[in-house]
Amino acid sequence: MGRVLEFRVSDEPAGTVDDWGRDPGLVRSMMQLARVRWDVSVGGDQRLPRRKGGLIVVNTRRFALTPVFAAFAISEAVDRPVRFVGRPDTAPVGAFARRIGGLLDHPDEVGGALAAGQLVVIGAEPGEHGSDFVGLVDHAIVGAALAAGVSVYPAATSSSPLMRAARVEIGSASRSPRKRRGPLTELELADRVRLDIALLLDELGELHTGTPLDWLPISGLGGA
Amino acid sequence: MKESRRVFISGVGGELGTLVASLLEAEDWVGALSGIDADPPRRRLHRTAFHRIRPDEHDRIVQTVVDFDPHVLVHVGVWEPDARAAPHLAATLTDQAATSIIGAAAECASLEHVVVRSGIEIYGRARNALTRPGESAPLQPTSEWGHTVAAIERTAAQVGQRVGVTVGALRLAPVLGPHVPSPLGRLLRLPTVPFSALADPPFAVIEDRDAARAFVAAARIGLAEPVNVVAPGATTALQAARRGRRIPVPLVGPQWRIARTLSHLAGAPIPDHVAEVLHRGRLADNGRMRSVLGVEPEATTTEVIDRLYHWPSIIRQPARVQVA
Repeated sequence: MGRVLEFRVSDEPAGTVDDWGRDPGLVRSMMQLARVRWDVSVGGDQRLPRRKGGLIVVNTRRFALTPVFAAFAISEAVDRPVRFVGRPDTAPVGAFARRIGGLLDHPDEVGGALAAGQLVVIGAEPGEHGSDFVGLVDHAIVGAALAAGVSVYPAATSSSPLMRAARVEIGSASRSPRKRRGPLTELELADRVRLDIALLLDELGELHTGTPLDWLPISGLGGA
Repeated sequence: MKESRRVFISGVGGELGTLVASLLEAEDWVGALSGIDADPPRRRLHRTAFHRIRPDEHDRIVQTVVDFDPHVLVHVGVWEPDARAAPHLAATLTDQAATSIIGAAAECASLEHVVVRSGIEIYGRARNALTRPGESAPLQPTSEWGHTVAAIERTAAQVGQRVGVTVGALRLAPVLGPHVPSPLGRLLRLPTVPFSALADPPFAVIEDRDAARAFVAAARIGLAEPVNVVAPGATTALQAARRGRRIPVPLVGPQWRIARTLSHLAGAPIPDHVAEVLHRGRLADNGRMRSVLGVEPEATTTEVIDRLYHWPSIIRQPARVQVA
């Protein structure tokens, strides 16, 4: 692992950038701004490694910037810098995205960050029916995680265009169904992550669905 | 490595070369030490035999190197554009030195190992280039200095293959030090520091002493691959200017042409590889520095930048005896 300067998010010095160009001061401002719009609760963050790297795959909706806000929310929960994949490489948007923790959508870029012990969020492709359906997961990025020797975590995100409440639920690390010697491992693991996210979404439900009577055992809608 | 190795250092007159030589003098595995440069060493060397030879004096270079018959060649003799020479002259001098010195070393029967100075400019900063490239990243230099260091690595690798010796390349981040002629360092020490208003990208540097320690480690272990030599952490031109209490000047598009002219007039020309740092940034993965070389940089990028602003300016001392 390379020597990188590591700080807890709450201790990061202002007026500096880290080894990937992330600006902690700007990230803190963006987090406060995001809090005005969303009230994100994070679950399952105890499953993430404390010091090692990890790839977190989230479900996305078109134009929702889910990986960005999931990275902010998880970063706050685990008190570690969390990066997201998918910044463009043109100024000023790309430069801004790099300052808030963006990485290029390139397996070598993501692999380098994971090998250096960073947490990285990547979005699955947007589903066809909103966030209920999880799109494809980039197997090349999953392959980069395997090469870096880090785990891949499925994470379900749920939010509403109208309400403030949002949820990020991180599952246990996905495991490839069988051992392979070649590149099939990354393909199968990518499919497994996709399934695991769908399962998490099913367990999560939509935050704004459910009725006031959900908790009643006799209603047949919820409860034990 | 066996004791009493003969080590030859090219570029021993430069600050980095002198530092490498002084550190090698303290190594117990090093026997005889010899070095060449166009200028004399910057400090007193006790064990190193110095030969003052210009890079275009091929015959003298070949004779000196062959007579010494080194086991290890440390090639630090490169000219960064606008550090000590204008870009075109720097490229010519670097090419001449690389060809004649590495070529001469290839004629030596005892040669076992070559270490060359390269730079992280070798990765280039084209669009969608990796933010923090590792040693296995594709080499796509986008500046004159990047092409120059790529040519040095190529020449050394060809020679290594032909004569069957190991070749290691140290890809240095911009080297800063109190006496190192660095175009980036000079620019950052100006009273006003230009930065890209739209990007202000991050870059990393390395202190001269850490770079010299990396050369000594590479020579000791017989490094046979490229390794990035970069201090941890990063900074931007705006942040550096603020740390040094300089006036940051945001620039966009054509304003850069004027800024480069003014900066040149102020004694701090901005060659294309430094302009690239200011527009596109320059970082590299330093993981193998510890795992392969066993060297941990003593100073982070921000510490090197802080020290840059604390190094005293030129102190002029009148001669004790006026002779003219």
